[in-house]
Amino acid sequence: MTPIIEIKDLVKTYGKLTAVSGLSLQVQSGAIFGFVGPNGAGKTTTMRILTTLMAPTSGEAYVAGYSVIKNPRDVRRAIGYMPDFFGVYDDMTVWEYLDFFGACYEIPEAKRPAINQDLLELVDLAHRRDDRVEALSRGMKQRLALARTLAHDPQVLILDEPASGLDPRARIEIRELLVELARMGKTIFFSTHILADVAEICTDVGIVEAGKLVAVGKLEDMQRRLMPHRRIHVTLLDKLTEARAALAAVEGVAEVEVVEQVEGAGRARLVVEYAGDDAAVSAILAWLVAQGIPVVHFSEDVRDMEEVFMRATKGIVS
Amino acid sequence: MTESALPIPDKKPRLSFRERLTRNPVVIKELRGRMRGNRAFVVLTAHLGLISLFAVLLYFAYTASSGNVYGPSSQIAGKVVFGGIVGIELLIVSFVAPAFTAGAISGERERQTYELLRTTLLPARSLVLGKLVSALSFVVLLLFAAIPLKSLAFLLGGVAPEEVAISLVILVATTMVSGAVGIFFSAIMRRTLGASVLTYVFALVFVLGLPLLMIVLIPAYQYFFYSYSSSPGPVLEAALIYGFGLLVAVNPLATAVFTEVFLIEDHSAFGRAYALSNGSAIPLPSPWIPYTLFCLFLSLVLVLVTIQIVKRKETS
Repeated sequence: MTPIIEIKDLVKTYGKLTAVSGLSLQVQSGAIFGFVGPNGAGKTTTMRILTTLMAPTSGEAYVAGYSVIKNPRDVRRAIGYMPDFFGVYDDMTVWEYLDFFGACYEIPEAKRPAINQDLLELVDLAHRRDDRVEALSRGMKQRLALARTLAHDPQVLILDEPASGLDPRARIEIRELLVELARMGKTIFFSTHILADVAEICTDVGIVEAGKLVAVGKLEDMQRRLMPHRRIHVTLLDKLTEARAALAAVEGVAEVEVVEQVEGAGRARLVVEYAGDDAAVSAILAWLVAQGIPVVHFSEDVRDMEEVFMRATKGIVS
Repeated sequence: MTESALPIPDKKPRLSFRERLTRNPVVIKELRGRMRGNRAFVVLTAHLGLISLFAVLLYFAYTASSGNVYGPSSQIAGKVVFGGIVGIELLIVSFVAPAFTAGAISGERERQTYELLRTTLLPARSLVLGKLVSALSFVVLLLFAAIPLKSLAFLLGGVAPEEVAISLVILVATTMVSGAVGIFFSAIMRRTLGASVLTYVFALVFVLGLPLLMIVLIPAYQYFFYSYSSSPGPVLEAALIYGFGLLVAVNPLATAVFTEVFLIEDHSAFGRAYALSNGSAIPLPSPWIPYTLFCLFLSLVLVLVTIQIVKRKETS
C-alpha cells in the first residue's frame, strides 16, 4: 500500500532549540492516524511542515506524493488543514465563510453553491447558513472549520487538536464526523491530547516525545509491544493457596498478586500478570477449573491508551 | 516516494488582469464586509458632511472678509472653496487610505486567519492586490462622491473643468501611494498598531514634511537667485529649477499649489517654458504629471516588495 504521508528524517530547529529531531513516519491511505505526545513534543511543528506553513531545517516530507518543499502548491491542493485555533472574520455569514475559502481553493463559482450546501449538510450546519460565524458555538465553529477543510475535496485532512476545548457532546460529534470522513475515503492525520479519542477512532497511532517518534503502529500492536504482560483478574470462592500454586506452574505467568481476601471466608481476588495470546488465556481458565478451583470471575484487564502513552513516553519535553 | 500518486491538476485558463481582480476572493470578501450594514453609509456621510461644513465655512469666511461675492471676487471665492475642498480631501485620503490598509496583512495574523489563507491556493499577489484594491476602491468612492461638492465652485466661477479633473488625478494618485505604504508596513510588522504608527509617520512626512521644509527652502532659493550680483550659470540654474520641481513633485500639497500656479499664470494644464536668466528657455511639466508618475512608481515598487515579503514569509 502506498503511504499518503511520508516523513523522512525531519529536523526543525529554532536557534538552539530542536523542536523535531529526525522524525520519520509513514501514514497509509485511508488511515485515521492519531499523533499523540506531550505539550512541546513537536506535534504542531511537524503538522506545520506537512501543511507547507514552515520549511524544515533538514529532511523531507511528502503528502500525496508531493514534496512539501518542492511542490507546496500541490501539497496544499491535496490537504485540508484545521489548526488548533479558529480564525474568525467579522461580518461574515457561515455561507460566505465557506464560499470565500472555496474561492481561495479555486473552485469555480458555478460549482460552489452546491458544494457549500453539501458541506453544511455534512457537518449539520445547513440551518445556520445565514448566521454570522462569530455567533456560532465553539462546537459549531469547529464543525464549520472541518467543512472548510473539505471545500476542495482533499485526500488528506491534517487536524491539529480538533476536539480541544469542546464540551463532551461537541467532542463526540467531531469524533463521529472524523469516522464518517474516513469512511468517505479521506486519510485523517490528527493530533490530540484526548487519548480516549485515539483509542476510540484511530487505526494507527504515533507517539512523539521531545521531537522524536517513540512509538508508532496499530494500537493493539503497540499495546502488545509496550506491555507484553496481560493482566487477568480472577475471583475465587475458595482454595486460594491451591490456585496460587496452580497458576505459578503455568508457563508465562510472571506474577500472581492477591488484591482482596475476605477475612474468615475463602473468597479472594487475584491479579495475574501473564504473557501469552488469547488461546493461552483461555487455557489458564480451563487449567484452574480442571484443578477443581472454584472460579467465579475471570476477565482480562482492558488496558487503555493512557497506559500505552505512559509506557512509551518518559516525560521529556524538548 | 518521489513521484506523485496524483494526476497533474488541470491548467487554469489564462485570465485577464481585470478578470483576475474581479474574481479575486479577497476583493469580494473585503468589499462585501466593508459595504455591509450602516458603517459604509456612516463613513460616507461623515466624509461629505465634513467637506460640506468646511466648504461652507470657507465661503462665509471669504465673503465676510471681501464683502461682496457678486462681481469679480466671486471667481476668487470659487477658487477658495475649490482649493479648500481639494486640500482637505488630500489630508483625508492621506490618512484614511492607510487606515484601511495598515491592518490588511497584520490584521489577518491577529485574527489568526493568515495561516488558513496560506494553506489555500490563494497566491501572495492575490492577497496583497485584493486587500489594496478593495481598500482603495472605498477611498476612491469617497473621492467621487465629493465631486458634486467640488463642482459647486462652478456656480461661483473661477474654476475650470480641467482643474477638477487634475485635482481628481492628484487625489487618486495620493490615495494609491498612501494605501500602498499602509499595506507595505502591514506586511513587515507583526501588529496592526505598529504598522499604523509607521504608516502615519510616513503620511505626516509625505503630506506636511515637505511644506515645512519649503518654508526654509523657498527663502534660501530666493536668497540664492536675488542676492548674488552675478546670476548662476544656465546649467546650474536649470538644475536648481528642476531640483525644486522634483521636490514639489513628491508632495501632494505642493503639487496641487504649483499646478494651480501653472494654470493661473500660463493657462496650461500640462507645462510651460521657463525662461532662464540668460534668455534661454527650458520646458517645465506641470507638477501633477511628475507627481502622478512618482506615485505610480512608488506604489508599484511598494506593492511588488510587499508581495515578495508575503511570499518569503510563506516559505520561511
